[in-house]
Amino acid sequence: MAEIINNIKILRAERSLTQEDLADKVEVTRQTIIAIEKSKYVPSLELAFKICKVFDKKIEEIFKTI
Amino acid sequence: MSYKNYKIVRIFIAMFMAMTVSIAISVENVLLAVSAIGIGMISIFLIKKNVKAVLVDEMIKNIAGKSALIAYSITVPALAVLSLVFMFPNFNSEGSYLYNLGIIFSYIALFNMAIYSLAYYYYQKKYGRDNK
Repeated sequence: MAEIINNIKILRAERSLTQEDLADKVEVTRQTIIAIEKSKYVPSLELAFKICKVFDKKIEEIFKTI
Repeated sequence: MSYKNYKIVRIFIAMFMAMTVSIAISVENVLLAVSAIGIGMISIFLIKKNVKAVLVDEMIKNIAGKSALIAYSITVPALAVLSLVFMFPNFNSEGSYLYNLGIIFSYIALFNMAIYSLAYYYYQKKYGRDNK
């Protein structure tokens, strides 16, 4: 199965957002953001779209398969 | 209420419950123990409602689901084997302590299986079961 990676950490740093801030915006715990950033957890489509909305990016610009 | 405050309050409620239950056991008062547990559970439920932070999200539910499946896969066969171990050697002595223990274990295993099947059926229906 293809691994899904993301650039949330970079986007977050560009916007000076903490993991806590992002977690609050997308209504999840900080642990979930940490797991997503490390590609240890693949978010649901709903959560992925919420993250995209926060960064104002398309889903393929944030999540990629390798 | 913030998540930090919620964690502190939760510890205090747990301490209250532990202390009251220990006192109830030492004075042999079942009602006191039951009411302490009840008050504790209601308090945690009410406080949880006022917490603004997210306590449960999709990853936690995902982990809980996987853990529940592992717990079920281990518990049910273990109970079934235990019930057989207790029942088979005591078939001739029906009503004995070990035989009854075996029957209790088998009923617990069946009860677990029934709950799992009902929950599985419910979620399969909810997420669109293929009726072919």
